[in-house]
Amino acid sequence: MSEQNLQGSLINSELIASLAARTALETPGVLRLEPTIKGFLASLGPAALANFHISGSQDGSYRHDGVVARINDGTATVHLDIATDIAYTALSVAESVQERVRENICHTGLNPGPVHVHILTIEASPGSIPR
Amino acid sequence: MALEDTRRLGCGRSIDQIWAGMDQPPTSHEEDCELCQAAKARMQKIKEATVALRESDLHNPEMTLPAERTNSIMALARAEARRSKRLVLRGTEYGTVEISEQALSSLIRLAAAAIPGIHSRRCRIEVQSDAEMGSTHLTINLRVATASGIDIPATVEGLRQKINKAIPAGVGIDAGTVNITVEDLYDV
Amino acid sequence: MNDSNPACDADTDEGSIVARAQDGDLAAFEHLVHTYQDRLFRLAYRMLNDRTDAEDVVQETLTASWRALPMLSDVKAFGGWIYRLATNKCLDLLRKRSARAETITDPAEIHSTLDDGATRAPLEADPVASAEWAAQQDGLTTVLNTLPAVQRACWLLREIHGRSYAEIGVTLKINPTTVRGTLARARRRIAEGMSQWR
Repeated sequence: MSEQNLQGSLINSELIASLAARTALETPGVLRLEPTIKGFLASLGPAALANFHISGSQDGSYRHDGVVARINDGTATVHLDIATDIAYTALSVAESVQERVRENICHTGLNPGPVHVHILTIEASPGSIPR
Repeated sequence: MALEDTRRLGCGRSIDQIWAGMDQPPTSHEEDCELCQAAKARMQKIKEATVALRESDLHNPEMTLPAERTNSIMALARAEARRSKRLVLRGTEYGTVEISEQALSSLIRLAAAAIPGIHSRRCRIEVQSDAEMGSTHLTINLRVATASGIDIPATVEGLRQKINKAIPAGVGIDAGTVNITVEDLYDV
Repeated sequence: MNDSNPACDADTDEGSIVARAQDGDLAAFEHLVHTYQDRLFRLAYRMLNDRTDAEDVVQETLTASWRALPMLSDVKAFGGWIYRLATNKCLDLLRKRSARAETITDPAEIHSTLDDGATRAPLEADPVASAEWAAQQDGLTTVLNTLPAVQRACWLLREIHGRSYAEIGVTLKINPTTVRGTLARARRRIAEGMSQWR
């Protein structure tokens, strides 16, 4: 039994997803993670989801509103869908999310793979002054 | 059938004409014409009931769509909106950064909202990324309506400058090519 | 509403709001939903006499409009277009109902299905005048329910919602002259019905 197996059972994709989500939300300029179609359908109940098959959902990846994480050969890959605050420069926010998420993945002992960030909307936060 | 539907009174006025003038003061013809007066009186009750129904439905709080229906409509729209086109801003070994066309166009709309006399309309954005993914060139095609009577070239130029500032500040890249088309005028 | 989005300025022309919604701007679409949802509900309710069916029609209409918006070529035609979608959904539903032979024709039964509040007179109104008013209104809604669906649609669109003859013609796939004829027939039936009812 290799170490990787042990690692896989301790640190699964769900944990990485939640770590990435938390890290993103703590990054200045990130307002929230954005729910995807699947998240929306899940909120409607199992009947809606039954008709909606996501290919690749059985590959060990974990999806939650706005985040997908996958572990492959000890490397974690993350996709994040975010809404950013208009008071910040969106690209800088996204790059800072990438950096922080990769850093936190390192702390788990896994190798940080690519962190893909998709900026879905740019909005004013309740406290910010629009440019 | 058609003849019957455009029935006329003995004085030559059609029922349609009389109906159309129900809520107006009598015309000089109607003041003298008994046929018109009688027809008007006959239709008065329908007119009154129609107006009463229109007004009571309009002000009846029960005759509105419940909030949960509105929420369902918006929730579905929001979920489907996520399919909008994605533009790649950066691609490195650390991962890609993409932005939805909508996020960009909302910044452009906000810039346009700051310019008096312009209402932004449709916005199409294309992006050409360099092979090394180091540089990104945007082409923004924005259609607008302008207030009638304004100096269009000066206003459009003001909008262009505003967009040229707003994109670097909000997104972190140059606005690239900004094409603005005035497609309509609106009355102030 | 999202404050960062300028779509909801009171003075923005509807054409611009429609154009933004066509681009997928949610705040603009929300503005249109709020502008039209109650009008469409009032139409659908008077067409269908069933609260749930009317709500379904409005929800389906506005959802369908979100999907089909990008195909709308003239932004200024939105109002007519959304009324057309809603009216035709109502007519389809009525056709299905009559195919199932479930149409209610007894005025008393229609009355029991009417929402209480729908025909209620304003409280502050003079009692005599408001009784008269309610009676007329009840008479009108009862007669309206006995009209053939297309005549009813025609009457509601023109007399309650103020839509143009040309637009009603497009909605019902008849020419404006036929719209006038249909309205005239509806008016005669209402006159007859109301005098019987009183």
